[in-house]
Amino acid sequence: MTKTRKFLKNNIGFWFILLWLIGFCVFKAYPFLSSLYYSFTDYNLFKGITRFTLDNYKNVFVNPPERQALFITFKYAFMTVPLKLVAALFIAYILNFKLKGVNFFRTAYYIPSILGGSVAISVLWKALFNDDGLIRTAFGKIGIEAPHFFTDASWALFMICLLRVWQFGSAMVIFLAALKGVPEDLYEAAELDGAGKWTQFFHITVPLITPVIFYNLVTQLVQAFQEFNGPYIITKGGPLGGTTLMSLLIYNNAFTSYNMGKACAQAWVLFIILMIFTAIAFWSQKHWVFYQDDEGR
Amino acid sequence: MQSVPGGGGEIVSGKFFNGGIYPMKKKVLSIILVSAMAAGVLAGCGSSASTSSSSKSSSASSGSKSSSGKDYEDCTIKFDWWGGDTRHEATQNAVKAFEEKYPGIKVDVNFGAWTDWETAKAMEYQSGTNPDVQQTNFDWIGKYDADGSTYLDLNTVSDTIDLTQWTDDELNMCKDSKGGIAGIPVANTGRLFYWNKATWEKAGLDLPKSVDDLLAAGPVFKEKLGDDYYPLVVGSYDRAILMTYYLQKEVGTPIIDENNKLTYSQDQIKQGVDFIQKLEDNHVIPTIEYTDGEGVDSMDKSARFIDGHYAGIFEWDTAAPKYVAALGDAASDFVVGGELDGLQSYSKVSLMFSISAKTKHPHESALLLNYLLNDPDGVKAMGTERGIPNSQTAYDTLNSAGAIDQMSIDAHNAVSDSNPFYWNPLFDDATMKGDSGTAYYDAFVNLSYKKIDTAKAAETLYNAYAAICS
Repeated sequence: MTKTRKFLKNNIGFWFILLWLIGFCVFKAYPFLSSLYYSFTDYNLFKGITRFTLDNYKNVFVNPPERQALFITFKYAFMTVPLKLVAALFIAYILNFKLKGVNFFRTAYYIPSILGGSVAISVLWKALFNDDGLIRTAFGKIGIEAPHFFTDASWALFMICLLRVWQFGSAMVIFLAALKGVPEDLYEAAELDGAGKWTQFFHITVPLITPVIFYNLVTQLVQAFQEFNGPYIITKGGPLGGTTLMSLLIYNNAFTSYNMGKACAQAWVLFIILMIFTAIAFWSQKHWVFYQDDEGR
Repeated sequence: MQSVPGGGGEIVSGKFFNGGIYPMKKKVLSIILVSAMAAGVLAGCGSSASTSSSSKSSSASSGSKSSSGKDYEDCTIKFDWWGGDTRHEATQNAVKAFEEKYPGIKVDVNFGAWTDWETAKAMEYQSGTNPDVQQTNFDWIGKYDADGSTYLDLNTVSDTIDLTQWTDDELNMCKDSKGGIAGIPVANTGRLFYWNKATWEKAGLDLPKSVDDLLAAGPVFKEKLGDDYYPLVVGSYDRAILMTYYLQKEVGTPIIDENNKLTYSQDQIKQGVDFIQKLEDNHVIPTIEYTDGEGVDSMDKSARFIDGHYAGIFEWDTAAPKYVAALGDAASDFVVGGELDGLQSYSKVSLMFSISAKTKHPHESALLLNYLLNDPDGVKAMGTERGIPNSQTAYDTLNSAGAIDQMSIDAHNAVSDSNPFYWNPLFDDATMKGDSGTAYYDAFVNLSYKKIDTAKAAETLYNAYAAICS
């Protein structure tokens, strides 16, 4: 066997992943690193770079629109993630019982997750909740004046959250799989000791599925900070910037104002914030996540 | 059981990696995979590879075609535009007719609504992937063709496009920084009022002839028809134009002159903002919060407009067809409003057609443009979907065929008879026009939501104008 053939044979795994590596370098690593470079410049898509600056980073914390977007993003994430986790766990818990037609309900609750991120659902959401929409009209018929869901800034953000919470199906399926893994004998023993359903839930179910809660927490947190579709399609960031999340602000700066430098800096700030929250989540797991390994952690 | 050529053995189904045959199969597999990857990489370059091969074949075929008397190469050219459904249909028909007249030239079309269209096009300009022929906006020359390298100088294809059908003034407006003609001005346009006659009659009012009539109509609508009826509806950008019309009349100059100079003071701009606020206070126009509540992107989709709750719009003279289509049976109540005393209009190039400077088929692209803009068949197919054409021969063709609908003529005349002012493309700069973070939005939306007063709105606008005019 020649040296070349031997080299090829010994490194065949590399050839298998070569195409992926090329894709990763071109479409992930290069844009990732170049965005860091651009974030320190005043790069405009059509005017190029004229100077290097730290202003882009400073402005995220100083300029009112950027500060507002940052604040709204936090608000959105801290509303959406707990609501979604609670909803997913609650429904999964119910669907874990041996109910008649349970498979139908499992499918029905999962469907929004398939459809939820789509443009069509966002348009439907708009049609339901706008001022002349079905919901306000129905409230009007019974003599109640419902709020202006999309033109009242506080309601608009809540509606965007609700759209995301409604798509709890993926988290629910993961919770359901975890619930199935909780040994039945633990419940039987608890029942013999006189524990009610709630006690069983909080003292058996929840502790045993904390690794899955942790997994869902991290993935939902990442998803929430990156939310774009809902506010972009439904409110365009309005009213008065009340639903302009960081992702939308980044898009506006990058693709409507062409201020790529500014947009890159904002994207990096968002990335760093996300990293910090993820790190906190990982650090905190030693206090509340129970793994079934030798050390129980 | 099946044998693999060169494998030296047999593969038992499902046991490919088992036993002694594995090393040999691994080699075969790796060859297949590397080949597949190489094919994938080549596929990634497929478009250029196939383009160059088709270009070669078209050159080759062009040789043979030349001998058959054609003065063009067989090729595929890309063409895109934005607009509404009626424009899409007309343009597709025109393209189809072109392909029949010039067999061998295939036109790949791409079209869509205006929303986010410019964003997509900006990316194409940046990456150099803009199509051969394109519908372009007047202000794009300054935005995307600053160095004159984006659009082809149409003088270079003047043997194919009959440029004599446009006046020098019209063509000069579309010159780039190098003096080349960056686009053909398809039509000129300006804003005017369209009224829903039936609603005005229901309110017991004649159509307005002046700003004072308009201001007086608001309370009457509220009293006679109800809180949800308004004489007029305008968005944030419409408000900027309406304010400009008002100030042009008051001050007597265009807001930004030919030398890119802002001609108004902050106090004067405040007068204009006060005027807009007065319209809202007098129930002439609804608040932006109220219009946003309906959640529609454009008024032709608004149920409140279609059923007459909004009795007027302030729109381009080229936009009438889509509103007529939206109104259906009620279109007969939709009429063009005359000039209002107290306002001074402006006119601008509605839109252009341009050819990419990077096109490999300038002659064929020019053939397409000439067909769409000057050829009687193309002109008839295109109709007045982009307004009354500037091309003299197109106008004559449509006029003699009775193909210019009365509403388009009325709208066009209403603008041209108003002695319109000059319009500077900086008015539509990316920092001025758009969503949150742009000047018109921040000034008029915040004002309408009562988050700022007229002085602050005027300051926002003045600073933004001053920045782009500096």
